[in-house]
Amino acid sequence: MIGGFFRVENIEKSFGGNKVINGFCLDVAENTLQCLVGPNGAGKTTMIDLISGRQKPDAGKVYLNGDDITGQGEHEISRKGIGRKFQIPAVLKGLTVRENLEVAYSREVNPLRNMFVMKATGCAEKLDEISRQVRLTERLNVEAGLLSHGETQWLEIGMVLMQDPAILLLDEPVAGMTENEIGLTVDILNKLKRTHTIILVEHDMGFVRKIADVVTVLHMGALLAQGSIEDIEKDDRVRAVYLGTEDAH
Amino acid sequence: MTQNLYHNKTLQWLFYLFAFGVIGAVPLISDDAFLLNQLAVYGVYGMLAVSISLCWGSGGILNMGQAIAFGLGAYCMAMTMQMQTQAEGTIPPFMLNNGLDALPWIWEPFRDTTTGIMLAVLVPTVFYLIFGGIMFTARVSGPFFAILTLATLSAFGTIFVDLQPYTNGVNGISPPGSLNLGETEIDPYSSGAYWFVFGLLVLCTVGAKLINQSRFGLVVRALKDDPERVRFLGYNVAIYETLVYTLSGLIAAIAGCSFAVLTQYVSPAQFDVGFSISIVIWAALGGRNSLIWAMFGAFTVQGAQSYVGDQFLNTWILILGFSFILVVRFLPGGFAGLVEAVLGRVARSDSQTDAASVDFSKAKEAAK
Repeated sequence: MIGGFFRVENIEKSFGGNKVINGFCLDVAENTLQCLVGPNGAGKTTMIDLISGRQKPDAGKVYLNGDDITGQGEHEISRKGIGRKFQIPAVLKGLTVRENLEVAYSREVNPLRNMFVMKATGCAEKLDEISRQVRLTERLNVEAGLLSHGETQWLEIGMVLMQDPAILLLDEPVAGMTENEIGLTVDILNKLKRTHTIILVEHDMGFVRKIADVVTVLHMGALLAQGSIEDIEKDDRVRAVYLGTEDAH
Repeated sequence: MTQNLYHNKTLQWLFYLFAFGVIGAVPLISDDAFLLNQLAVYGVYGMLAVSISLCWGSGGILNMGQAIAFGLGAYCMAMTMQMQTQAEGTIPPFMLNNGLDALPWIWEPFRDTTTGIMLAVLVPTVFYLIFGGIMFTARVSGPFFAILTLATLSAFGTIFVDLQPYTNGVNGISPPGSLNLGETEIDPYSSGAYWFVFGLLVLCTVGAKLINQSRFGLVVRALKDDPERVRFLGYNVAIYETLVYTLSGLIAAIAGCSFAVLTQYVSPAQFDVGFSISIVIWAALGGRNSLIWAMFGAFTVQGAQSYVGDQFLNTWILILGFSFILVVRFLPGGFAGLVEAVLGRVARSDSQTDAASVDFSKAKEAAK
């Protein structure tokens, strides 16, 4: 039994001889919001891919609740309780908002049993609760492809929540949002983190400041620093690699 | 906003009831044996269009080789019918002509009618299960899958021509008698045969519609949009794809069996690539996203071919091709898409002119 709620140990991953993740370690406590930050190409999205099963690590382990989930298929890892929101919002555009949320309510994944189920038990209540949380109650019958960009982001957060995952992996959930939408998203996330564990990849330090419990800085595929936002902002190495490059923009 | 009537589930079922009521009543109006047989064969084409609508329309799996299941089912059924007419110890005449003196082992199970009919349904279905399983676990999709089904179909056609001693090659098998189920003979030119095929058509279409409305169907429609996303929701996409493909194969196999019963003849033409692609065209013209409209597509095209096509001879294929181009360009949803658009316009103009009805529907929403 490995202690801790969620733990990543010495993960390594190369693409064509180019080491992208280099012995990365991470510990996440239950019901916290942990931000993964770092400059472009630091390996943040790759790390999310490795945790969620889209990529298989070359070495290292991923543990959830002490279970080794390293290198399993996407659907298996998802069933173990890791829900993922993509960097480019991936909702099912041809289905309505309601159908998107219903598909995401994946308590029963057996296809043969699902052939004989018209309405999943508990789905309606959950859908009610989640659609209120992500502010989409008025939009349930709209085709998801017609939503605004911000609404699409919220819908995808809603889909992850319908899965009721132990951990939410959110990859840049506010990318492309207006100031107003970012403000609403901050509210949503601050409510969520009381009851959910969230790992969030983000670029924008201003947004991170408003939501993060713990900040982890990734640089060249390895952990550079970890701590509260105040500690991180004071850290000289972080300033050099991350904030330094920000200034250069 | 007034709901588009096209999406109203109750109305959809009422439409099914009406359409199948009309189709089922045909033998009450006409007792022309030739016409009944011809319309029953259209019913078979309808089943094929429904099967394509299930895997292509719902699941986005473009299957150009649907004649695989159709041909296999038809051959197994014809073999069963052939053996029914064979006296104990004799073998089909074409085998004698091809130098065989005993029944080949592959024909043995078809001595028994029940086993034969079961095989006619199971052989194609199991083939689809295995073929689909291999392809979808390897994440083969889109045009690649379509090409592979086409190539496999073509291979089947060649094999059935080549195995002349067992299949009678290009001449095919023409059982001398019609199918006997126990004591009853199914005369292909009777209202009985018409209703038999009609019953199977209703069963397949309603079954497919129920599957579309189930959670299984919801996942299938979702993976048509984005299989990657559905995988991250915890569903094993390959199994869902394999099963919907297999179910569509099952329907095509039933169509194949019915075809052999109705025509008392099978040949490698049942594995014809052109025929297989025309199934896709029926579904596209009628509307691949709607089972019943895909079926109407098959009726329309085949009906037109029989009654108008004869006058145009070879030009008919050009007319068919041109109308396919027109539909793809101007009516991507087929006839069903047209109906949906018209009803959508009606719903919108209703909600503009009649503000009270909007309030009413809102109040109804709130009351729920």
